[in-house]
Amino acid sequence: MISVEGLRKSIRNGSRTVDILKGIDFTVPQGQFAAIMGASGSGKSTLLGLLAGLDTPSAGEVRLNGTAISYLPEDKLAQVRGKTIGFVFQSYQLIPTLTALENVLLPHELNADAKVSGLARARELLTSVGLGDRMEHYPVQLSGGEQQRVALARAFILRPPIVLADEPTGNLDTTNGTHVLELLLNLNKTEGTTLVLVTHDPMLAGYADRRIVLSDGRIVSDELNSAAHPRQASVVAQ
Amino acid sequence: MANLSWRSSVKIAAREMHSSRGKFFFVILSVAIGVAALTGVRGFSASFRATLLNRARSIMAADLSARMFQQPTPAQQKGLDEIAASGVEMTPVTELLSMASSAKTLDPLLISLKAVDPAMYPFYGEVELAPAGRLKDVLGPDTVVVADDLLIRLHLKLGDELKIGTRVFRIASVVVNEPDRLSGSFAAGPRILISREGLDASGLLAPGSHAGQRYLFKVQQPARGVAISDKAVAQLKERLEKLLPEAQIIDYRETNPALAQGLDRATSLLSLMSLVALVLGAIGVAMAMRAHLQQRLDTIAIMKSLGARSGQIMKIYLLQTLLLGLLGGIVGVAFGVGVQRALPYFLAKLIHVQTDLRVEPAAIFTGLAVGVLTTLLFTLPPLLDIRGVRPILILRRSVEENDDPFVTAIWRKATKNFAQVGAAVLIVGGLAAIATTLSDSVTVGKVFSLGLVGVLAILLAASAVVLWGLRYFLSKTRLHLPSTVRHGLANLYRPGNPSAALLAALGMGVMQIMTVYLVQQAVVSELHLSSAPNLPNVFLVDITSDEIAGVRALLKAQPSVTSTAEMLPVVSSRIVAIDGVEADALKLKNFPKRMLRSISLTWSETLPPGTKTVEGKWWPEKERGAFVAVGQRQAGRLGVKVGSKITFAAQDTQIVATVVALTKADGQHAYSRAEFVLPPAPLAGLPVVWYGGVHADPARVGELQRALYQAYPTVTVINVAEALETIRSVVIQITYVIQFLAAFSIFAGIIILASSIAGTRYRRIREVVVLKTLGATRARIATVFSIEFAVLGLVAGTVGVAFANVVARTLLKRLSVSYHFRWEWTVLALLGTVMLTVATGWMASHRILGQKPLEVLREE
Repeated sequence: MISVEGLRKSIRNGSRTVDILKGIDFTVPQGQFAAIMGASGSGKSTLLGLLAGLDTPSAGEVRLNGTAISYLPEDKLAQVRGKTIGFVFQSYQLIPTLTALENVLLPHELNADAKVSGLARARELLTSVGLGDRMEHYPVQLSGGEQQRVALARAFILRPPIVLADEPTGNLDTTNGTHVLELLLNLNKTEGTTLVLVTHDPMLAGYADRRIVLSDGRIVSDELNSAAHPRQASVVAQ
Repeated sequence: MANLSWRSSVKIAAREMHSSRGKFFFVILSVAIGVAALTGVRGFSASFRATLLNRARSIMAADLSARMFQQPTPAQQKGLDEIAASGVEMTPVTELLSMASSAKTLDPLLISLKAVDPAMYPFYGEVELAPAGRLKDVLGPDTVVVADDLLIRLHLKLGDELKIGTRVFRIASVVVNEPDRLSGSFAAGPRILISREGLDASGLLAPGSHAGQRYLFKVQQPARGVAISDKAVAQLKERLEKLLPEAQIIDYRETNPALAQGLDRATSLLSLMSLVALVLGAIGVAMAMRAHLQQRLDTIAIMKSLGARSGQIMKIYLLQTLLLGLLGGIVGVAFGVGVQRALPYFLAKLIHVQTDLRVEPAAIFTGLAVGVLTTLLFTLPPLLDIRGVRPILILRRSVEENDDPFVTAIWRKATKNFAQVGAAVLIVGGLAAIATTLSDSVTVGKVFSLGLVGVLAILLAASAVVLWGLRYFLSKTRLHLPSTVRHGLANLYRPGNPSAALLAALGMGVMQIMTVYLVQQAVVSELHLSSAPNLPNVFLVDITSDEIAGVRALLKAQPSVTSTAEMLPVVSSRIVAIDGVEADALKLKNFPKRMLRSISLTWSETLPPGTKTVEGKWWPEKERGAFVAVGQRQAGRLGVKVGSKITFAAQDTQIVATVVALTKADGQHAYSRAEFVLPPAPLAGLPVVWYGGVHADPARVGELQRALYQAYPTVTVINVAEALETIRSVVIQITYVIQFLAAFSIFAGIIILASSIAGTRYRRIREVVVLKTLGATRARIATVFSIEFAVLGLVAGTVGVAFANVVARTLLKRLSVSYHFRWEWTVLALLGTVMLTVATGWMASHRILGQKPLEVLREE
């Protein structure tokens, strides 16, 4: 479960202060798929960063499964991130000097018990995203869509209870974007995670259980999506 | 707690290094330079020391040597005869300065004469002759063997005649090398070996003559084929120390204490100079690592967002640093072999021992360890900055530090600075520990490390100030400067250009080499005395009492002599006790005890010219009491004051003299060298030798030398100009070695420059591409970059030369040598630095000009 209380975020831009988030409150129950929408500059990515503990809020609190994370020391935060959150970035953000398999394994090496091998799971995940024959390839040898699929597999390696995705199809063409979305939704369904996805694409948001709309740093709309598309491999048909 | 395995860390570190191998090539070279210098110096020192030990007996030409400062007393002579009778072989070696002449030249030549018994000498090793032969076959009562340069200077050949003292000898052979050359006295002139009978016949030795006397001993071999034991050597040494308490007795294992000490000091000094180059190299590594980490911010942020802790990430880059340090160290050790081979070349004229150069494991280990440790120390600050990388960078590029809540911001600042302060303390402490180990002195280690850090900090500040000034100048004159100049200057402030640090490193190398040069030139120039009309420029040594009146008359009659000769009678003695305390038990300040055995006493009725009393009172004329006036500085070293009693022993006579005055001399008279002056009466009847100084017209010194030599061939005449020339050549030889090592610091600075330029390669490529797209020609672009490199060189050169002058001036003041600012050297140094930086800059970036615009723009 994700809980946000009175979240504010301001940054200094030269001599002036810019308020990006002006008081955000919401809760995402376990297993829910929530889409955060808004125009460019509405604060979506900043909100996602705060949810992931990548940044510190100016005020307010974020709780993940009951644990307040906003003001934790960096090393503690890293542990929480590693074990609780899987993150899918818009620009894939793979480590260029590691192969696809090694990139997927990295969270396991950083956070899991060294005695338990993550190799089988990594291979299984890569196969499930259609990259069973590209495991030893480096990011530079993969297309954008393939890199994002590796990033998907990486996000799910530790079976995190929460997955956050920041415009996961933003840098992809329509075909690849659809394919990646399909994989994300399938993985989300099979792993049973809480999924929060930032997007400006209404089509993508149509798959979410809930739509939270931001505008100028505030929530202007927060609705359950009764007409949500089923999260099945029928994305292409839509 | 889960941890990134070493295997994974090494994998990531190695792959990143492989993908950045171009950049890391310079880093490896930075470390290699300093390690090469250090390994070379210590390797050579260890090899030289091993050679001395292996050939110790040959270098001494004996098992033991006893250096005597007086002729043995009859009792001592009896003791020596008994030792000889017990089977110990013994032979005397006498060394003195004298004059030699030939019929082919008018001018006599100052020579280093060595008298030996060819039937006995040397006990170990061989005297190398040309043509090849045995010394005992060629050296007889009427023959001598001479060094090659004597033949050249006197236009002689083998078989010609040579006059030494009152006798004429035939030149039988050329001496190429003597085994105990290092153990002997300093050779102020060409070497001549003469037999003992020849020396006696020459009339050169008179009681009190200034001749160095050594006795060489060879312990009896127990049986044929059985080596002489160290125990037997030690027993003989003990016996000799009892018999000759005032002699300096050493056995072959100690080689030459002065030489060993000199070697230790030289190794320490040169090791510390190498450490400067290493530190500069390490700074280069730190700068490269900082730039590398800047480029890896995304990777670091990604890893943190995936749950990596700062410590885990630091492990990766620490491993990279370690690998770089090791690789640099290994390359440096390989280069160090070359340095080890080069050093004997620079020291050839000073060291007359063929050094067996070999790989010294200890030197290699030291070089490697110091290289890796220094690299790790200096890379700490950029590595610690990893802790401050915030994962939000992935989502938002411009992350302000102060957008944290207040408490978080304060905590972040405090922990960051605390860690960096800790790193700085560790760096200085580590450097001090390394310097202490290399120099074997805690004090030197502390002073060196603090001094080096201080100098670097000052250079950094100075460079930053100059850059700031240049920027200010640029801002005011921007539109009035030609655009190429404007652009070139603006490039100094390109993001990612660590200009101030770069300038400090380069400036350090320039400063080092320039300081050595300035000090060397000033000292050598000072040695080139053009003496004042009243200052002696010709010294006379070993004038006997029979000759003194005649010499005075001759000098008076010489038209070339422009001042009255000052003659100083000298009685050789030793100090036996001070205020009742025996010499051995005395606690002295900056005064080696062995010098107590070689004290020169002189006499004067009245206060000598150029001398004044600073304490006490001079004695009245005709005084017969045992009083002594002591030089103020000498009194301080011996711990004597007015009223103290000094017991002198000369031959078998003891004189207990009361100190009645402390004096100070102006240094311009013959009596200025007299530290102990007594009334004539206490020294009456003792063997005395006269020394004198006189000023002759510099152009007619030869005339005076010839006249003196003809009348008094046993009197040694030293032309100060020639003597200074010998000393000057030694000083120059030594500074060659120092400058050779100082050059490594320049190399380190150049490597840092190349590395920094290579690090900004992509920015430069983009610039070139944009300029070309806008219509700039290659020539224009080349001009802009050349101006950037040239200004870098000019600023580094200016800072380096300025501080070199400051340091040189301070050093020369301490040496009491005058300092003069020399414009021509300054300009040359600046020009040299500029040319070096421009050449380096282009070597590091020459392919940039050929980059096709579309290739780069397409990648965007």
